[in-house]
Amino acid sequence: MAALDKTPSGAARADNTEPILSVRDLRTQFFTSDGVVRAVDGVSFDLHRSETLCIVGESGCGKSVTALSILGLIPREIGRVVGGSIRFDGMELTKLDEGEMRRIRGNRISMIFQEPMSSLNPVYTVGFQIAETLRIHQGLSNKAAAERAIEMLALVRIADARRRAGEYPHQLSGGMRQRVMIAIALACNPQVLIADEPTTALDVTIQAQILELMVELKERLGTAIVLITHDLGVVAEVAERVIVMYAGRTAEEATVSELLDNPQHPYTRGLIGSIPRRSTPGARKTTRTRLQEIRGIVPSLREEIPGCAFAPRCSIATERCTSQRPPLETHGPRHSAACWETAPSSALTATSPRS
Amino acid sequence: MSAPGTPSPSADVVLEVKDLKKHFPIRKGLFSSVVGHVQAVDGVSFSIRRGEALCLVGESGCGKSTVARTIARLEEPTAGSIVLNGTDISALGEGEIRPYRRQMQMIFQDPYSSLNPRLTAGEIVSEPLTNFGLAMGSDLQARVASLFERVGLRADAMAKYPHEFSGGQRQRLGIARALAVSPQLILADEPLSALDVSVQAQVLNLLIDLQDELQLGYLFVSHDLAVVEHIGHRIAVMYLGRIVEIADNASLFDTPLHPYTEALLAAAPVPEVQRTKRERIILTGDVPSPSAPPSGCRFHTRCPYVRPECSRIDPPLVEVAPGHHVACLLRPGPSAGHAAP
Repeated sequence: MAALDKTPSGAARADNTEPILSVRDLRTQFFTSDGVVRAVDGVSFDLHRSETLCIVGESGCGKSVTALSILGLIPREIGRVVGGSIRFDGMELTKLDEGEMRRIRGNRISMIFQEPMSSLNPVYTVGFQIAETLRIHQGLSNKAAAERAIEMLALVRIADARRRAGEYPHQLSGGMRQRVMIAIALACNPQVLIADEPTTALDVTIQAQILELMVELKERLGTAIVLITHDLGVVAEVAERVIVMYAGRTAEEATVSELLDNPQHPYTRGLIGSIPRRSTPGARKTTRTRLQEIRGIVPSLREEIPGCAFAPRCSIATERCTSQRPPLETHGPRHSAACWETAPSSALTATSPRS
Repeated sequence: MSAPGTPSPSADVVLEVKDLKKHFPIRKGLFSSVVGHVQAVDGVSFSIRRGEALCLVGESGCGKSTVARTIARLEEPTAGSIVLNGTDISALGEGEIRPYRRQMQMIFQDPYSSLNPRLTAGEIVSEPLTNFGLAMGSDLQARVASLFERVGLRADAMAKYPHEFSGGQRQRLGIARALAVSPQLILADEPLSALDVSVQAQVLNLLIDLQDELQLGYLFVSHDLAVVEHIGHRIAVMYLGRIVEIADNASLFDTPLHPYTEALLAAAPVPEVQRTKRERIILTGDVPSPSAPPSGCRFHTRCPYVRPECSRIDPPLVEVAPGHHVACLLRPGPSAGHAAP
C-alpha cells in the first residue's frame, strides 16, 4: 500500500536504537472515598520501533491503567499520574497539556480497546468514523478521507470495503467491528499502537483472524505494538518481549521464549503452572491431574505494600520479602525479575527448580 | 472404555438426552407476531454416566449454554427427551419436576449475579436444604458448615454477604449451594470464565476433586479448549445448535475428524514458545445466524474442504470409530477410512 508510506509520520520515521516509547517509574493513583488506590506503582519499560511488547497480568494488576496513563486518558476527577516519566519520540508526555496530547493521541499513538461496540459511535457509518480521524489529524479533504477510509477497510481485509464503509457498527459482526477499530487506529500510520485486550470479547476462531491481521500489519507498516492481555496463549502467539505485572508493579520482564521456558518470578511460574496444558499426542496423561494453584487472592491496592506484593501468596517468601521491596534485577540477557529469592545474587538460585 | 453418544441403557447413566431441540420465537411488530425461530439447539443427543465429565465446547451462540439450561428446565424444550435417572423430565410440569431438581444442580458463569445479595453466605447454602426439607436446626448448621469446609471456605465466612467475597470464593459458594442437596448431576455453565487465571486453577481443581470423590456426573459447558481437555472424559463439539463431533478426550484431541473441530483446535492459542511457525487453518468469515442456518451442513459456508454436495446434504452424526461420532460428508465411516493420519 504505497499511500501509507507517504504520510508525514511515516516519512519522519528513522530506524535507530533509541526506544520510541520509554516509561520510567510510572505511578498512577486513584483517589476514592475509601482512600488512595495505587493502581500503577513504579512501572518502567522501553518500547522499540516495530516491536511487539505484551503486558500480561490478572484483573486489577494495573495493565490497563498503564495504557491509559500513556495516552493521557486517566479521568482527572478521580485519578492522575503522580510520578514518573513517559517519553515518546523525544517528548515528555506527562508534561503536555490536553490540546498537545490530542494531536498525538489517535495520530502518532493510537489504541484499540476490548469492546469494539462501545468504542464505535453507533450513529455514524464506519467509513465516516475512519475518515474523521484522517480529516482531523492529517487535514485530508472530505473526499480524500472517504477514499482513504475505504483503502483502510480493504487493508484490514474487510470484503466489499466500499459497501461496508457505508454501514453502521450494528450491521457488522464483532470480528468485523474490531477490524474497523484497527483500521481507525492505523489510519494515521501511528508509531505506537496500544491494544488493550483486543481479542478478549471475540470467539477463538475470530481471535485467530484478528491476531494474524495485527501481526501482519505490524510487519508491513512498522508500527510498534503494546498488547495488553491476560492470556498467556495470546502472548506466546504474538509477543517478542513480555512484561508480567502484579499489583501495579513489574514482576518480570523478558523475551517471550525466556519468559515461557525459564520464568524467574514465582508469580510468573505460578501463572504458567496454573494454566491447563494441551498435551501432545502420544504424551497424553491417562488420569486427570490437579493444576498448580496460586493460593490466596491479589492484595488490596489501597494499603501501601512495603515488601514484595506477591509475598503473602508466595511459597518461597522470606522475612525480607514482606519488609523490603525487591528491585527489578537482571537474571540473564534481556531478562529481569523483581524477586529477592530467585535473583542471581541469592544463594537459593541453585536450588530453585526451573518450571 | 468410552461410552458412545447414545449408549445402551445402563444403571450407570445419570442423564440421557435424545434429539433435544430448543427454538426461540422471533417476535416483531405491534402484535408481536412470530416472524421466525432461532434454532438455538436443534437435535442434540448424548448421555452422561456417573463420575463422568462430558464437555460441551463451541463458540458463542452455538447453543451450548441453552443445552444446559434446557436440561435444567430453566428453558422449556421444544422437542426431544431428557431422561434423568430413568425418568423423562422433559414434559413434567412445574410441580412434578421439583423432586428431580434435587438430582441435578446448576453452577453458573457469573458468581456475581447468581447469588442473592440480601442473603448471607450461610443462608445461601442452607436455603436448598430447607426448601427440600432435608435438614433443620443444629443438623442444618452442621451440614452447611461441612459444605463450607468441603469447598474450601472458612466457617466464619457464613455470616458474610456475597459482595464481601472475591470472585473465586463466590464460585466456591455457588458450588457449595449446588452440592447441598447431594445431586448426582452437575450442570456447569462456563464456571471458570469470569475468574482470573490463577483462581481458575483453584476452582478447576475443586471441581475435579469433588467429582472423583462423589462420583458426580458433570455436563461442563465451556469455550476454553485447554480447560475442556483438562477436565473432560468425553467432549462434544457444537456448531450452530448441533453436535458436529463427539468422542472421548484422547480421540478428539489426537484425531479430530470434523473440519470445525480441527479449526477450533488450531485457532486456540497455546502458551508455549513457538519453535516453528504453526500450520494453522484460519477460518474465514463469521458464524452464520442461528435464525437462518445454512442449508445442508451448517459449517459449509466456512469449511476449508467444502464440496458442492455439502450445501445440499445435511450430514448425520455417524460413529466412525468406537465412541467417536462425527457429522461430516468427508468422513464416511470406519470401512472407508478417514483422511486423518
